[in-house]
Amino acid sequence: MFFSKYSEKKDGVIRAYDVHANRVKVVCIILLIISFAITIGCFFPAIWVFLASFKDIREFTRNVTILPSKFSLEPLIETWHTFKFGKYYVHSFISVIGCLVCAVLFNGLLAYGFAILKPKGYKIALGLVMWSLLIPSVTSIVGLVRNISILGMTGSYIPIWLSFGANAFYVVLFKQFFEDLPEELMEAARLDGCGVLQIFTRIVLPMSKPIIVVVAIFAVTAAWSDFLLPYLMLNGSGKETVMVRLFAFKDTPTNAVQVLRAVLFSIIPPTIIFAIFQRQITDNAAIGAVKG
Amino acid sequence: MKTKRRFKKRDLLGWLVMLPTLILFTFYVWEPLLENVRLSMYTAKRYEIEAFNGINNYIGVIHNPDFKDAFVNTFAYTGWSLVIGFLVPILLGILLSEAVHFKNLFRVGIYFPNIVPGIATALIWTFFFTPGETGVLNILLSKIGIGSLTWLTNSKCTIPLIVATMTWKGAGSTALIYMAHISGISPDLYEAATIDGAGLMQRVRHITIPSLLPLAKTMLILQIIAVFQILYEPMMMTNGGPNGASISLMMLVYRYAYRDFNFPYAAALSVMICIILILLSGLYMKMTANKED
Repeated sequence: MFFSKYSEKKDGVIRAYDVHANRVKVVCIILLIISFAITIGCFFPAIWVFLASFKDIREFTRNVTILPSKFSLEPLIETWHTFKFGKYYVHSFISVIGCLVCAVLFNGLLAYGFAILKPKGYKIALGLVMWSLLIPSVTSIVGLVRNISILGMTGSYIPIWLSFGANAFYVVLFKQFFEDLPEELMEAARLDGCGVLQIFTRIVLPMSKPIIVVVAIFAVTAAWSDFLLPYLMLNGSGKETVMVRLFAFKDTPTNAVQVLRAVLFSIIPPTIIFAIFQRQITDNAAIGAVKG
Repeated sequence: MKTKRRFKKRDLLGWLVMLPTLILFTFYVWEPLLENVRLSMYTAKRYEIEAFNGINNYIGVIHNPDFKDAFVNTFAYTGWSLVIGFLVPILLGILLSEAVHFKNLFRVGIYFPNIVPGIATALIWTFFFTPGETGVLNILLSKIGIGSLTWLTNSKCTIPLIVATMTWKGAGSTALIYMAHISGISPDLYEAATIDGAGLMQRVRHITIPSLLPLAKTMLILQIIAVFQILYEPMMMTNGGPNGASISLMMLVYRYAYRDFNFPYAAALSVMICIILILLSGLYMKMTANKED
C-alpha cells in the first residue's frame, strides 16, 4: 500500500502517526507530485540538449518540437570530427588525472600532519588553511597568474595540476576521516620502526579508501569543469581542454546545433561518473560543507 | 632529556610532511592576495612593475564609467541570490525530507545540475532564454498559450534570470546539506509539538526552520562570498549586456587584466572586492552576534 511506507518515515515534519488523517494523505500526494516536477526540471535541460543535438540546423530553427525527427549518430560524429573533440578530450583527461593525483596526495599529506602527526605549532597552519575557505578565491587570480608567468610556467598543465593540491575543503574532508582512525595501529607501526611516510603509505592510505574515493570524485568533476585557470594557462597553447574550447564558442559565431553538440560532449563524462558513483556523491555532498 | 630530543625530531618530520602542501597553499592562496595589494599600488607594463603609484590606481578604477554599473549590479546579484538562491535550497530541503517514495531519485535529481560544468550550464540556459520563437522556454510557453517573452534582453530581468540559472545549478547540493541536518532533528520535538496541537505548517515554522537557522547563517555568508565574485555566467550569457545591465565587478577585473592588460587596475579592483567582502562578513557576524545575546 502506498501509505504504509510512511510508517518507516524517520525525519521531516510529517510523522508516521499523522498519515492516518485524510488531509495529511492529500498533502503527501501533493508534495510527491511537486518533488517529481522539480526532479524533471533538474533533468530537463540536459535531456533537451541530448534530443536537440540530433536535429540539423534547419530542423532546430524551424521545427519547434522537442523530439528530433530522426535519431542518427551521423551529425554527432560529424561535429566531433569538425571540432576535433577527441584532442580536447585527451587534453582534459591529462589535466583531470594530474589534478586527481595532486588533490589526493598533497591535501592528504597536509591532513595527515594536522590530524595525526600534530607537530608543535601546527595550529597556526591549520588556522591559515581554514581561513582560506573564506577567502574570495577568484579575486586572487590576477596575482596568481602573474606569479605563474614570471616562473615561465604558462602553457603547461603543471600549474593546473598543482592548483588542486591546495584545496582547504579536501584537507578538511581528509582531516575529519584521519582523526577517526585507530591510533593504536599507528603507534604499533611506529614501535615496529616505520617512518612517518611509511605509516602514511602503508597504514593511513589503505584504511582511508572511502574518503579517497570521495575526494577523487569531487576532484575529477571539479577538474573537468575547471575553466578560469586552464583558460588563462592553456588558451592558444595547443593544449586546450574541453572547457576552454567550449568557452571559445562565445567569441566565434558557430551554428547553434554544433554548439549544442559540443555542450553534450562536455556533459557526458561527468554524467557517467555521476551515474556510477551517485550514492557516494549524494551521501557525501553534505559532510564536508557542514563541518568545514 | 632523551624523550625531549626525540620529540623535536618528530615535530620537524611533521612539518616536513606538511611543507609541500603548505608551499602550494602559499603559492596559490596566500601570496597572490598580498601580491594583489602590492601590484595595486604600482604602475606596470604588463607584468613588469614600474613605479609606486599610491592610491591612483584605485581612483582610476572608481572613475571608470562602467564601475558604478558593475558595483550596483554586483549588489543586485547578491540581493537576488539572497531572495532566490538562499531560499530555494531551504525549501527544497524541507520538501524532499518529506519524500518517502523515490527519495533516492529525488536526491540524485536535484544534485545532477551540480555536475553539469558551469560553462555548459551557461550555454544551455542561453538557449532556453533565447528570445523569439526559437527559444526553448518560449516554445514551452507557446504550448500553454502564452506569447514570447524577451528574457535576458530585457534589462530588468537579466540579473534575476542569471541568478535563477546559478540556483538551478547550485541549489541541489545545498539542499542535500539541509536535508542531512533535518534528518538529525530529534523526533521528540515533533512529537511534543503534535501533542500541543501544532499543525504541519506550524511545525515547519517553529521546529524545522529554527533548527536550520545556525546552518543557514553559515550558508548565507558562503553564498554572499561566492555570488559577489560572479564572473563567467554573465560573461557567457550576456557579456555584461544589455547595455551594461549585467556587468559584474569581477567581469571588470577580467577586462582590465586580460583585455586591456592593465594588471595594476585589475589588482586594485580585486583588493576592493576583497575589502567589501571582509566588511560585509564582519558586519553580518556582528549583526547576528548581537541578536543572540
